[in-house]
Amino acid sequence: MKASLITSSVVHAMVLTLALASFGSPEPFEVMDVESLPVDIVPVESITQIQQGDKTAPKAEKSSPVPTKRPDIVENAENVGENTVDLKNTPTPNVKPKETESAAAPEKTEKAPPTPDPVQEEIKASEEQAPAPEPVPQEVAALPESKPEVKPETKPEPVPAETKPAESPEAEALPDNVPTPQMKPKVEKAAEKPVEKPVEKKPETETAKADTKTAEQKKKEQKKAASAKESDFNADEIAALLNKQDPSGGGAKRATEQASLGGKKTTGGNTLSMSEMDALRGQIQNNWSIIPGMADASDVRIKVTIKLDESGAIIGEPEVEATGGTDAARRALSGGARRAVLKSSPFKGLPADKYDSWSEVVVNFDPSSML
Amino acid sequence: MEQVGLAATADVTLWSLFMQAGLVVKLVMIGLLAASVWTWAIMVDKTIAFNKARRQFDNFEQVFWSGQSLEELYRTLSDRQTSGMGAIFVAAMREWKKSFERGARSPIGLQMRIDRAMDVTLAREAESFEARLGSLATIGSAGPFVGLFGTVVGIMTSFQAIAGSKSTNLAVVAPGIAEALLATAIGLLAAIPAVIAYNKFSADAAKLSARMEGFADEFSAILSRQIDEKLQTRQAAQ
Repeated sequence: MKASLITSSVVHAMVLTLALASFGSPEPFEVMDVESLPVDIVPVESITQIQQGDKTAPKAEKSSPVPTKRPDIVENAENVGENTVDLKNTPTPNVKPKETESAAAPEKTEKAPPTPDPVQEEIKASEEQAPAPEPVPQEVAALPESKPEVKPETKPEPVPAETKPAESPEAEALPDNVPTPQMKPKVEKAAEKPVEKPVEKKPETETAKADTKTAEQKKKEQKKAASAKESDFNADEIAALLNKQDPSGGGAKRATEQASLGGKKTTGGNTLSMSEMDALRGQIQNNWSIIPGMADASDVRIKVTIKLDESGAIIGEPEVEATGGTDAARRALSGGARRAVLKSSPFKGLPADKYDSWSEVVVNFDPSSML
Repeated sequence: MEQVGLAATADVTLWSLFMQAGLVVKLVMIGLLAASVWTWAIMVDKTIAFNKARRQFDNFEQVFWSGQSLEELYRTLSDRQTSGMGAIFVAAMREWKKSFERGARSPIGLQMRIDRAMDVTLAREAESFEARLGSLATIGSAGPFVGLFGTVVGIMTSFQAIAGSKSTNLAVVAPGIAEALLATAIGLLAAIPAVIAYNKFSADAAKLSARMEGFADEFSAILSRQIDEKLQTRQAAQ
């Protein structure tokens, strides 16, 4: 036994040394030096749908619109064209687009320019007429110092004293309004017109009536003047504010590649993808408190139709339709669905460029799956 | 080649694996290695012993059936240290001589005594054949479990180390697990030969025992015939 034990030990020692020698350190696995690639999941709609291109150009692997010449100006433009503003309509060929020169809004002055409304002019005219010979309204208006002198002159001559009360406030009001350096010749023209009118209209006989009228008008005019001080709207300067550029259509997106067959606009995935739809559904479900253990809830199917504005908020009331199950369960669940939809109102995460597809959304729910 | 950080420590030779292991795992490995040494020692010993016994049986049977006088054979064997068939023969002859030569009256009693003597010797010889086969069986059945125990402990400690290092990098995890698995490997290494050897040697021992039993029965028959003959001649003489 001793001999065999020694034999065994010796053999073991030999085998172990052999194993240590032969096993050694196993060769490490060779790892290929592969460059890592970012992997992204892209919805197939963006490729399968119509791509922006030219309708008449030959087919190519990648559709591209007719190349444009001008450098890119507008960011995020959608419509291809040479325009400086991104417009959807087709370009008008003859017009060469030019820089728009729109007038700046007039500076707000301390004193508002006189409002050349016909009413005021009428009053002026009537005032001129009532006193006999002095046709110098403009000068009176222009020179505030002359006003007190003018008044006494005009006063005694008119027949009754009716014009007086009318005139004195008017005259006082006038100098305030008058000094307007910006006045355009047009104003005078406009002023002349109403001058003639009252001449024809007003017969001399009805002076009394006219006087009362003028009194009322004056009140009106005072109000107007007050309001004119607040807004600096000048109807005569409207023309200056108008954009005189001829309408030119076309988008502002620049294309650089060879034209090839394609649509007018990329309609890349104009339908909501499953994940986007699920996100919408999830927002509703989060706000939906389903009463657990409700009888017959599993048979009810709910269809919710929502109209959304561009910010994701609900327009109007959501339409909720419930089918199947008992009447009570239907009522309870459809009420819950309505509350959930209203509660989750501005919906988040909807892609703005697909608004067309989610302006009206139909969402179907199976309440049994949410219990 | 300069290796940085973990790669430098990830030495996975058998020796380094053993040295990295914890105390329990080390003890398990050493124990299993000792068991393996013991297993092989028994195997070597048994192989030698069984071969020797087989050779002895062959020689003895040859001599026994050669027509040599049993008295003579007894005389030559009784001086030597005998084992196996020789021992059985010597025991039976001794008993026969003791009883018969002193003039035993009952042949049945004599026969019984001779059988008893042979049975005792047979049992002793059979026991010597089966000695240490039990330890082979134990190593064969318990070795894998002991190795598994070492592995479980090793993996436990290596997971604790991972929790401590807060990194699940495979380079951190792998050496600990490899080291733990070494314990199971050694357990299997000891257990597999032990099981095979146990099966083989227990079968051999059973075969040798059967051979001895056959000889004992034969010799018993011969002796019984001899007893009858001697008794008849003695009765005739009287």
